[in-house]
Amino acid sequence: MPEKKSLQEKLGTINYRNQAKSDIKAHISVDTDICNSTCPHQCTTYVCPADCYKIDENGKVYFQVEDCIECGTCLYACDQGAVSWEFPDPEEGRGVNWNYG
Amino acid sequence: MDDKFDCIIVGGGIAGLSAAMELAKNDMKFLLIERGEFAGAKNVSGGVLWGTDLARLVPEYWTEDPDEAGWERFVNHRRLTFMDDQSAFSFDFKSDHFDAQPYKGLVVLRSKFDRWLADKVQEAIDQSEVAMESFLATNILVDKVLKDENGKVNGIKAGEEEFFADSVIIAEGVNNLLTRQVGLQDEYVPADHVMTGVKEVIRMDRETIDERFQLDGLSGMSNEFLGYATDGVEGGGFLYTNRASLSVGLVLGLKDLREKVKKPYDILNKFKEHPAIADMIRGGEVVEYSAHVVSSGDMRVMPEEIYADGVMIAGEAANLLMNAGKAIQGMDYAMRSGILAAETVMEAKEAGDFSKQQMKTYRDKLEESYVLKDMRGFQGAVQTLHQPEMVDEIPDLVCDFGRKFFTVDDSPTPKARKMFSEAVSKNSSWWNLMRLSLKAAKNL
Repeated sequence: MPEKKSLQEKLGTINYRNQAKSDIKAHISVDTDICNSTCPHQCTTYVCPADCYKIDENGKVYFQVEDCIECGTCLYACDQGAVSWEFPDPEEGRGVNWNYG
Repeated sequence: MDDKFDCIIVGGGIAGLSAAMELAKNDMKFLLIERGEFAGAKNVSGGVLWGTDLARLVPEYWTEDPDEAGWERFVNHRRLTFMDDQSAFSFDFKSDHFDAQPYKGLVVLRSKFDRWLADKVQEAIDQSEVAMESFLATNILVDKVLKDENGKVNGIKAGEEEFFADSVIIAEGVNNLLTRQVGLQDEYVPADHVMTGVKEVIRMDRETIDERFQLDGLSGMSNEFLGYATDGVEGGGFLYTNRASLSVGLVLGLKDLREKVKKPYDILNKFKEHPAIADMIRGGEVVEYSAHVVSSGDMRVMPEEIYADGVMIAGEAANLLMNAGKAIQGMDYAMRSGILAAETVMEAKEAGDFSKQQMKTYRDKLEESYVLKDMRGFQGAVQTLHQPEMVDEIPDLVCDFGRKFFTVDDSPTPKARKMFSEAVSKNSSWWNLMRLSLKAAKNL
């Protein structure tokens, strides 16, 4: 058995673009008003393989792009029209740079 | 217009690079644009590249020094495993037949493979008559596909720059935003059309892999899993041997995942703890976790059309993928569709016609090829594999029977037929089994 890794540690194995930049342009924007009002499932908070959709202490959904690995899951999983998805800008965006792929 | 290309290819994955290779070999002027830092930087697969088209693109690639090669191992050992919570019942096939070149299946890691293939394309460009006029450009994101006043695609826009061409091949992958932009696919593609793949690359000594899996350094194994692997969610698992690592992962139906409220990496962790998997990955170290959406292989997911005036869609952007239980095919389809799209460009140039009627040749070629023939022929199998029974009932039944059949203890042994009958009534029903086997017999 390989040593057990938490998701955070697993995400730590990933090489991201523009990792040193603090100010990055998000390639996904989420209208969390929809998530937090009419959405019946808030599924992005569990189907996202990189846990980019989180729930705060007040039970509200919020989105953090930093760990996004551009897999596309939320683009299909969200059937409420809350997710606007683009590919990250090579210079200003984040996104992955796979070592193995 | 001198600065106009014969073709612009969007995407430096397998489909785009295969198209590029064909164009380069035929002295066509093209521009391939890849958004990653290098070809492969954004690509994830399971993955096995099935089929033999690579030998056409890179003749006798197997004669290259293996340390320089872009592939990991060739598959000569195949295994399909049914799992319950504690057992694994496998159909296992190993044959020297698979040692013959060209290989029929190659385990690849895309970051390495695509970069290697891009180098080969660059070599072909350098040797072509238009060496100074064809380019592989990386680190550029295409924002828009451009059309002329008649609605014919004639170029692309990236940032402030515009590039023009007689034709555009969109090979952007499954998240096909440009395909949607040109109107060939709906803006929103629902969750039941796709699956989410999650994978870990687990580093392990080459010698350990050779000994553990009875391989010889370049030969490899592909193992697919049904049942407990996916924790009740539609889909399957896989384990492939790389040179000095294993690729272990799952492909999970996204709609089912959403409905069953499960996290993909939790299921992956559970899969890795199954005794059959734990024994295979013991001692390894996770060096990369990855995930990517993958098409379900259901043809209803395909774009409305895969060509229009001046444009063709290749690879997974056209949802060319199939998993009919035998193998997960996608990269080979990408390769073939890229090649056929390039052929279409060359014929269009010859005819001086890049209209929709001419581009239809691409569709015809794909229909005549094994890609769409197989996808059409095995749609029933794809749908059978997606039946809920395939997630638990059938794997449980198989494992239950296996446990009974292989157990030797001090009680009288019933006949296998009785064991099977017991396994059926415990886990499923004769009716269900008959229904599924009839389907399978018809569809496979």
